[in-house]
Amino acid sequence: MPAASGDIQTVQTEELMQVSASTEASLLLTTVQALANWSRKHSMWPLPLGLSCCGIEFMATAASRYDMARFGMEVARFSPRQADLLLVAGTLTYKMASVMTRLYDQMAEPKWVVSMGACASSGGMYRSYPVVQGIDEFVPVDFYISGCPPRPDNVLNTLIKLQGKIDKERDYELRLDTPSAPEGQNVEEVAVLPGKRHGPPIALATDDERFVEQGPQKLIERGRKPEEGRA
Amino acid sequence: MSQGKRVTESCLVYTADAPEGVSEATQQALAPFDPEWSEHPVHGGYPGCRVHRSKWAEAMAALKEQAGFEMLVDHTATDYPDREPERFTVLGLVMNVDTQERVMMRTRVAEGDSVPTVSHIWKSADWSERETFDMFGIPFEGHPDLTRIYMPQDFDGWPLRRDFPMQGHNRFRD
Ligand code: SF4
Repeated sequence: MPAASGDIQTVQTEELMQVSASTEASLLLTTVQALANWSRKHSMWPLPLGLSCCGIEFMATAASRYDMARFGMEVARFSPRQADLLLVAGTLTYKMASVMTRLYDQMAEPKWVVSMGACASSGGMYRSYPVVQGIDEFVPVDFYISGCPPRPDNVLNTLIKLQGKIDKERDYELRLDTPSAPEGQNVEEVAVLPGKRHGPPIALATDDERFVEQGPQKLIERGRKPEEGRA
Repeated sequence: MSQGKRVTESCLVYTADAPEGVSEATQQALAPFDPEWSEHPVHGGYPGCRVHRSKWAEAMAALKEQAGFEMLVDHTATDYPDREPERFTVLGLVMNVDTQERVMMRTRVAEGDSVPTVSHIWKSADWSERETFDMFGIPFEGHPDLTRIYMPQDFDGWPLRRDFPMQGHNRFRD
């Protein structure tokens, strides 16, 4: 049954008004987001987790010859509370992994993770019992840097790429309702999850028992068999 | 899952007489403990002496107190997985700092058996024995704090045993 013309008129006007309101809101949001992104990417303070030889290469990147300060990253913070970027440079052992996740948990959002070198990205040449085969078993990684060790210009290149990624981020959204939580989690819990922008966290736990539970599970989720090449 | 040839026995030859270079004082100090002597065939460096594991601590104490071996240079173990019945050899390299004399002390131990600790004789043996325990799972009786020293406390397995997997990690195996 065709609707009365007056009704159509009303509906259209309401729709138009909604569209225009959300457009204004998104214009504002985009502007604020762009401003936030600009300031974030030019004040990226790394927390260098120099675990072995790659740490030396990171120092070279930070020192005067390559000079990270040119891109607004000179303030290496050794307190996770003040850092934006966790830069894992070197060989991560299972014993150290709990320290790394604790540091990651303590960093304030927004935060990024760069895995520097073959060791941090995949275990590198240490395919053995104490070494974590890639820090992504425990934390979400934004960028992996290849090399053993990566050259400082490679590190710089990655950090500039990361700035580009931050520039494209659009995580601000207009929310008039309460955010919905995935089933079985309450809202507060979702809000404090580390790496929430990247899906569920890989490991929250800072004690080894949880690693034991979550490590193989993560491998399965990524389509790798737990025993694949590992036995 | 060791690879290549399995070593079932060390190549040492044990005799009742001390080899050249072992001082009188050392021989006397060790005499009550039924020592079996060996010359090291590869490096030619350190004369070896094997005692029963029940006399391990006493023999080491005698070496320090009577023969002046004041320094425990090294403490570790080796694993011969097919050797019956005592699969491990625990080693302690001791040194007399004054005369530069060294003796490689050895004792054999089966899996699950313990060795008396020497950590009350040399303080440095404390961490060394923890390391040997961590890597081989050999318990040291009387040790003040026998816990893992390198690996996480909940680690499963003894990494330096020859049947430990060459690659990968126990926690990723079913
Ligand atoms: S990737 Fe190479 S340089 Fe970097 S920590 Fe590993 S071994 Fe060292």
